Amino acid sequence: MSVTVLYVEDDRDIGNAVSADLREREYAVRWLESGEGALEAAEGCQLAILDVMLPGLDGFTVGQRLKRAYPDMPILMLSARTSIDDKLQGLDFADDYLTKPFHPDELAARMEVLLRRSGTAAPAPMMLKHLVVRPGSSVVMEAASGREIMLTGKQFQIFSYLLRHLGQVLTKEQIYEAVWGESYMEGDKTLMVHIRYLREKLELDPAAPEIIETVRGIGYRVRG
Amino acid sequence: MKGAGRFQLLHRSLLFRYLLILVAALLFIPVIVPLTIMLYSIFGGLAHEAPPKEYALYSSVDKLEIMWHEEARKLLDQPPEDITQRLRTLSETYHHARIFWVDHEGRTQLVTEPSGPPLLLDGQAARDIPAYWGAAEAVSFMKDSTALKPLAIVAFVGDQAEAGEGFMVMQIPEEIKNGRYAPGLDKWYSIMMLVFLIVFVVSSWLFFVMIRRRLLRLQTAMVFTGHEGLPQVVPPGKPDEIGRLEEAFNTMVTELKASLAREAEEETLRKRLVADLSHDLRTPLTVIRSHLHVLGKESLSPRGQSSLELMDQRIESLGILIENLLSYNLLSSGRTLLKLEQRDVLRLLRESAAAWYPVWEKEGFEVEIDLEGAPLYWDVDDSWFRRVMDNLFQNILRHARSGLYVGIFTEIRDGSRVIIISDQGGGLEKSSDSAGAGLGLSIVDLLLKRMELEWSMESTGQGTEVVIWKRTS
Repeated sequence: MSVTVLYVEDDRDIGNAVSADLREREYAVRWLESGEGALEAAEGCQLAILDVMLPGLDGFTVGQRLKRAYPDMPILMLSARTSIDDKLQGLDFADDYLTKPFHPDELAARMEVLLRRSGTAAPAPMMLKHLVVRPGSSVVMEAASGREIMLTGKQFQIFSYLLRHLGQVLTKEQIYEAVWGESYMEGDKTLMVHIRYLREKLELDPAAPEIIETVRGIGYRVRG
Repeated sequence: MKGAGRFQLLHRSLLFRYLLILVAALLFIPVIVPLTIMLYSIFGGLAHEAPPKEYALYSSVDKLEIMWHEEARKLLDQPPEDITQRLRTLSETYHHARIFWVDHEGRTQLVTEPSGPPLLLDGQAARDIPAYWGAAEAVSFMKDSTALKPLAIVAFVGDQAEAGEGFMVMQIPEEIKNGRYAPGLDKWYSIMMLVFLIVFVVSSWLFFVMIRRRLLRLQTAMVFTGHEGLPQVVPPGKPDEIGRLEEAFNTMVTELKASLAREAEEETLRKRLVADLSHDLRTPLTVIRSHLHVLGKESLSPRGQSSLELMDQRIESLGILIENLLSYNLLSSGRTLLKLEQRDVLRLLRESAAAWYPVWEKEGFEVEIDLEGAPLYWDVDDSWFRRVMDNLFQNILRHARSGLYVGIFTEIRDGSRVIIISDQGGGLEKSSDSAGAGLGLSIVDLLLKRMELEWSMESTGQGTEVVIWKRTS
């Protein structure tokens, strides 16, 4: 079953082009030219793409209403970054932000990230080198042997967080604060120790990690 | 009507009150002092015990002197017994006075003692009359008499010294001469004067304390600003000069508020205009880009594909240029608010670098980041600081492709920790489209200045190095 996307864009040229591109990528698109009726149209959608500048209700208002009605549905805003206040206002409820003129491939990539994060996309198991992981569940298996790898609570939280941001480089502060829920203190080795144990369980050669990559000077990343 | 209004104004003014105090101060000496003396005399007179009637004989010193010299003249060439007799007779009339006479040989012939108040000499009992008078006694008596306490009237017998018949003296007690005043009146007079002085000092002090308090209140209202950055309106006070100043201050605050509101409205309009412009410029670019993407899926010659890629890149550059142009417009108006907070800029730098890392990686850049060490806290606006980093990283991507290197460090220079962002490209001057970088760097300059940060950029053929540090006061 394909993913249904609510797309609100007042410009017909852009709307036509983006809708066509998304349909080619096997998304079902519900395109509206204004925010009116967006709440009803969002029923059954897994993702919403909203333009900020809309006739009548603006994208922020529509987005806030959608978020209240469908808190689990990710929202991607399309607009200019010129007014940074708008960006902050937009990100209060929106999950991501893309500035025009965007490349269709970039839009598709962002959508995939959002869908994966919300657990809508990729319901199928995902191959990561020699591992099979099922996003949204705690199951991590060795592909060859089918042996399940048991992770501790914290190890699983760290690995899940990295998987939710697949391909993104995350700083130590971001990971620590997302997993432990408290401020990261510079020099704290807790995260490093947990990553080391995690690698011992996940990597074929923990000394040359392939799953959890260290980005020197910044943090860690799991490549997609 | 106009005159009455002016009087009303004058009456309410501080000047009037101050003049009132000054007039009071000026009147204090020439009016209050005589007034108090008059009152003193009145109350002193009331408090004075009425003198007995027989004291009337002594009320006029001149008359007494005339009488005494007349009597002395009549006694010229009289035998001592007659003189004594006559003086004794006189002493019956002037029995409150002491009368004595001394003959030509210096012998005291008669001394009558006063029947009333005693003779006092400076509060002490008067000396006894010596029986024999020599030069020493005469001088001593003269010295006592100069004080006129008691009053002494001296006449030569025969009223001439040449007669050589001696002299006769009448001494009148001081109390008979001056009467007796109520005791303690002097003290009350002093207290009254002191009260006048205290009233004057206290009223002057209260006057200036009141002025000072109101001025301080006004000063406090001017110094402490509310959440809008404007002073608070002061409650209206008395309609005097300070009251009018308060009124003028309140008017100024109200006008400032209105002006701020107008500015905010203008800023909103400006933002809306920029946002509309941005939208109107970006929409066709988005459409073109979408169609380029569609075209790219068609079978095209390598040259056609290359043209499409070039157009795509230029559209992206144009998007960035529009972004920077409109941002610069907003920022240069100076009315965009930056929320400066103490933030660890190394953390912000790491997060920005993390977001850019995949892009650099894709382009084949070698990325060297060393931001280890203690956090570096500067007062920055989180979003706008990220924007500065984005602009600098964007420049590296666009203008330093030849070096394929990004270095992000922190080190100590001239005793301060600085942030360094470097590349090994050909330098901005050699870049094909460095004009676009200029606008991005202008935004960097504007933002860093607003965040009270300094920066420098050194661009050579071997690369560009941007250094950012905190401005020292």
